[in-house]
Amino acid sequence: MPDATTVTDVAASPVNADAGEGAIRLERLTKRYPGSARPAVDALDLAVPSGELVALVGPSGCGKTTTLKMINRLVEPTEGTVWLGGIDIRTLPVHELRRGIGYVIQQAGLFPHRTVRDNIATVPRLTGWRKERIRDRVGELAGLLDLDPDLLDRYPSALSGGQQQRVGVARALAADPPVLLMDEPYSAVDPIVRARLQDELLDLQRRLHKTIVLVTHDIDEAIKLADRIAILRVGGLLEQYGPPEELLRAPATPFVADFLGDDRGIKRLSLMRVAQAALTAGPVVGPDAAADEARRVMDANDTDWVAVVEDGRLRGWVGAAAVDGAATLAGLEPEPFAAAVGTDTTLKAALDAIVTSRTRVAVVVDDDQRYLGVLTLDDLAEGVTK
Amino acid sequence: MRAALLAEEPLVRWDWVRDHQDEIVTRFWQHVTLTVVAVGIGFVLAMAMALVSVRWRRAYPAFTGVSGVLYAIPSLALFGILIPFYGLGFRTAEVALVSYTLLILLRNIVAGIDGVPEAVREAADGMGYEGWRRLVSVDLPLALPTIVAGLRIATVTTVGLVTIAALVSAGGLGTFIDDGLGRDFPTPIVVGAVLSVLLAITFDLFFVGVEWLLTPWARAGRRQARGRAS
Repeated sequence: MPDATTVTDVAASPVNADAGEGAIRLERLTKRYPGSARPAVDALDLAVPSGELVALVGPSGCGKTTTLKMINRLVEPTEGTVWLGGIDIRTLPVHELRRGIGYVIQQAGLFPHRTVRDNIATVPRLTGWRKERIRDRVGELAGLLDLDPDLLDRYPSALSGGQQQRVGVARALAADPPVLLMDEPYSAVDPIVRARLQDELLDLQRRLHKTIVLVTHDIDEAIKLADRIAILRVGGLLEQYGPPEELLRAPATPFVADFLGDDRGIKRLSLMRVAQAALTAGPVVGPDAAADEARRVMDANDTDWVAVVEDGRLRGWVGAAAVDGAATLAGLEPEPFAAAVGTDTTLKAALDAIVTSRTRVAVVVDDDQRYLGVLTLDDLAEGVTK
Repeated sequence: MRAALLAEEPLVRWDWVRDHQDEIVTRFWQHVTLTVVAVGIGFVLAMAMALVSVRWRRAYPAFTGVSGVLYAIPSLALFGILIPFYGLGFRTAEVALVSYTLLILLRNIVAGIDGVPEAVREAADGMGYEGWRRLVSVDLPLALPTIVAGLRIATVTTVGLVTIAALVSAGGLGTFIDDGLGRDFPTPIVVGAVLSVLLAITFDLFFVGVEWLLTPWARAGRRQARGRAS
C-alpha cells in the first residue's frame, strides 16, 4: 500500500517533481498594479532547482525585483502561486515564511542603530534562539564571511561598503535558511570590491549549496555567478531561461541576443576553461637540441620560435635569430614566456595571454608547471564555434 | 512716572528673595510640574496620533490641521475660552499647555519615522518583523533623534507658556512676574524670569543627555564622519 500512496501523492501534486527543501517554482505568477494597463509580471512560470543560483536579468521595468519580492511576499501576487519546497507559500504565516528565507538587498540595508553582531543576530533573535547559540552562530558566520571579529561590536556606519555587504549576507544566512533572495546586492559597491564579493559568493555557494535567486541588471554578473539565467522583457515576460553557456551559444530571440551584447563569443570564452579546449602540441625541443632540429621544428609549425622543455618542464622559448647563430641550443638561455596559463584558466584569460604575447600563443602548463601544449587563436575559435 | 519709579528701584532686592525663599521653591516646583505634565500628556497624545498617521496616512492632515488651529490660538484667548469649562487653576492651564505641544511633537514623531531609510524598513520586513515589533525595534529607535528634537522645542516653549498660566491661578514662576508687574516691583519679575530661563535651559540639557545616552550609534557615526574628514 505505501507504493500506491506515493504514486497518488505525486500525481496529485506536480510540485513533488521539483523536490528538495529549497526548490522554488513560480506558477503563472502575475502582478498587476492598480492604474497601470500592463501587468508588471505576466503569468511567469519558472522553476529554480534546489541548490542552484538563478539570476533574474532584464532592463528596468521588466519586473525582476517584483518577481523576487513575490517569493517572500513583500509583494503579494495578483494571480498565480509560489511553491517553496513543494509548499504553497500562502499557506504559511508571512513572518515565518520570511524568517525562513535569507534576504540581501542593495546597499545592505543594515540597521544603523545596531552593532554588526546584533545585525547578524536579527533572525535568530526573532525566532527566539538561546543567547549562547546566537553568539556561536555569529562567530561562525564572521569566520565564513571573513569578517574581522573586531568589526562585530562596531556600528554599520564604521564599515566600508564591501564590509557592509558581507554583513548583509551574514545576516541573511544567520538562521541557515535553504533559500537566499538577493536584490541587486552589488550594484552600490565599486567594481573592484564587486568582483571580490562575487568571487566570495561563488566560493560560499560551493560550500553551502543554497537555492539563490539573484536580481541584477548586469548581464556579466549573471554570467559569472548563475547556474541558470532568466532573461525578462518589460512586463515580466520570460524571454529565455537556461544555463549561461546555452544563452550565449543559442539566444532564443533577438531581444536576448541584443541583451547579451555584441561580445557573446568573448563572454562564452569566460565560461570555458583551458581544460575544455583542444591544445596544439606546439614547437617543442629539448634543451640540448641541435640548431638544425630547432629550425626543422619551427618550419613544421610555421613559427619563428621554439619552446624549450626539459623533463616535461617548460624552460622558456628561443627565437629564430638566436638559433641561427648557434650550433646547438645548449649554450642559449631561453627567454621566459610572459604568461603561461593553467588548465583552470578561462579561455577569455587565455585569449588575453595570446593577444598580448609576442609568440601569439598561450602556453599551457599544469599545476606542477609541466608543459601541456599551446593554445592558438584557431584552437579558441574552434572551441567557441563547436 | 512709572518708568521713573522703576528706575529708582534696584533690579533685585535680596532681602525680598530671602524673605520669600519658601515660596520661590514652591513656585519653582509648581512650574516644573506644570511643564512635565503638559509635555508628558502632549507626548502620549502626539505619539498616538503619529502612530495612527503612519498607518493611515489620510489621518495625518486631519491631525495636523486640528493641532495647527490649537497652536494658532493666542494663549490668553485660549485660557479665557477654557475657564468656563474647567474654572481657574491647574486643569485649565494643562489643557491649554497640552494643546500647544501637540503640533510640534506630532510633526517631529512622524518626520522621524518617515526618515527611516527605505532600505532599512524593507530589510526589517524581509527578515520577518511583525509590524508592531518593527515599530518598536527599528522605526522608533531610528526616529529618536528627531523625536527628541521635538521634545526639546515643545518643552522650552512650555516652560515659557507656564509663566502665562499664572493668570488662571495655576501657580508657577509666572505668579512672581504677575505680582511684580502689578506692583511696579522689579525683584519678583527678575526672580520669575531668571528661574524660568534657567529651568528651560536645564530641561534642554536634560534631553541632550538623554539623546546622547540612547543613540550610541549616532556618536559612532559622527566619529566616523570626522575621521573621514580629517
